[in-house]
Amino acid sequence: MKTALFPGSAESQSLAAEYGYDDWLVNRFLRYVPDTHNFLATMERQPARYLRVNELKISKSDLRARLESKGFELESTVLPEVFLVKRSPMSIGATTEYMLGQYYLQDLSSCLAVDALDVGPDQTILDIAAAPGGKTTFIAQRMKNTGSVIALEPNERRARSMTFNLARCGVSNTAVFRLDGRDAERLGTKFDRVLLDAPCSCEGVIPKDATRKTSHSPGDVEYCSNRQEKLVESAARLVKPGGVLVYATCSFAPEENEMVVESLLHSGRISVEPIPYGSEGLTRFDDREFNAQLKNSRRLYPHLHNTTGFFIAKLRIN
Amino acid sequence: MKHREPTRQERTLINRALDRWGVYAFFRDKLMLVAAVDHSTKVCLLPANLKPFFANLEPYFAGLVIGELKKQFTPSIAGADLFARVADSRRYYITVSENAEKLVLYGRDVMGDSIVEASDDLDENELVIILNSKRDAIGVGRTRFAGKSLFQKERITVTTLLDAGSYLREEGG
Repeated sequence: MKTALFPGSAESQSLAAEYGYDDWLVNRFLRYVPDTHNFLATMERQPARYLRVNELKISKSDLRARLESKGFELESTVLPEVFLVKRSPMSIGATTEYMLGQYYLQDLSSCLAVDALDVGPDQTILDIAAAPGGKTTFIAQRMKNTGSVIALEPNERRARSMTFNLARCGVSNTAVFRLDGRDAERLGTKFDRVLLDAPCSCEGVIPKDATRKTSHSPGDVEYCSNRQEKLVESAARLVKPGGVLVYATCSFAPEENEMVVESLLHSGRISVEPIPYGSEGLTRFDDREFNAQLKNSRRLYPHLHNTTGFFIAKLRIN
Repeated sequence: MKHREPTRQERTLINRALDRWGVYAFFRDKLMLVAAVDHSTKVCLLPANLKPFFANLEPYFAGLVIGELKKQFTPSIAGADLFARVADSRRYYITVSENAEKLVLYGRDVMGDSIVEASDDLDENELVIILNSKRDAIGVGRTRFAGKSLFQKERITVTTLLDAGSYLREEGG
């Protein structure tokens, strides 16, 4: 899918110069990110820190009490397992509780993607491009270690790293296969739920990696978008009738989000279900109008939702 | 990672160990398979409905590795953690002080002064699960002394074999 580019304006040039971005990117942000000035200012700050309680090991109240006794200040969020870390007297990845897998450091946006998956005990779940395993461990937690989770990660180093996280979190219902999502049909089965947090151009995590302000190119968006279309098609084929596919990225680009999901909607057997968080998905971009159902998808913005940038679409496969 | 049913001999070693740690009843109806990894035999706990997925493809990793089989069964950190949470008795455990907890998590051995509690009748050269004051399993060790001698001051009395900090050290390495 070709990346839409627009002629530069005085506004885009001035913002690009002020915040150190390439002009083409700011020019696009002005067309799909609400309140772009505030957004760019927020992207300069370190993202909020969240932790997810691993209820396979400890209750929410016990962990909260333990961390608060050490001087941590935690605030509840829309998800009961996730806390915003307001203050930490020490590195949050260096506590005994962290080493023991009693919590996982994970952005709220990423947890919301798992929440949208709506998993239940004894289901079969497929998690595509799963490393480092944050969402996989949350899925296992929501399933209380029942059923089965198949996690795919083609890269050996990342797959190995994932096994440490699964062990640390006490996950027993998961098998990791070194497989690309596009080859997942080799598993020979269909799933109740499929999660595809697709490899993307990562516009949403610029606060963690500022080099992307200028290293990111229109070609990256196009490359990712083409790959995502293939992945999402493959993922949709692996869902049992009546099951759910959650498609997510940490990019703001419509070519990687709404336009990828729209490519699936032509068959008429897939619908986009609403999610109770975030801003509505785009229904138009550039000179294109999208399927009206795409407003049910969700966009999470740092300046509006205090998360890293994220896109989530919950698709019901009929 | 190729999984298989444990042999009769392996099953005996596993069951003996589970009984020793007071978790035999918990594991009685659970599926445990063994897998050869890096020249050792790992014991994996996994739900039975995961096994059919191995028919077409071999997984890179599956289930929770609860321990390793050599001449005897040694619990992994994940296994020790599970045992400590589900055990119906407290045999073969030691509990260490808060200061010692940090040292164990860096892989250091346990000084006698740091042990605040130990199971009755521990012998020399016995495998033990190391707990912190909150009863979390933070390591697996081997006793260097028996009984009350475990508490002797200014001497290492338990060798730390595995610790929960290793997840982060190994993941980073």
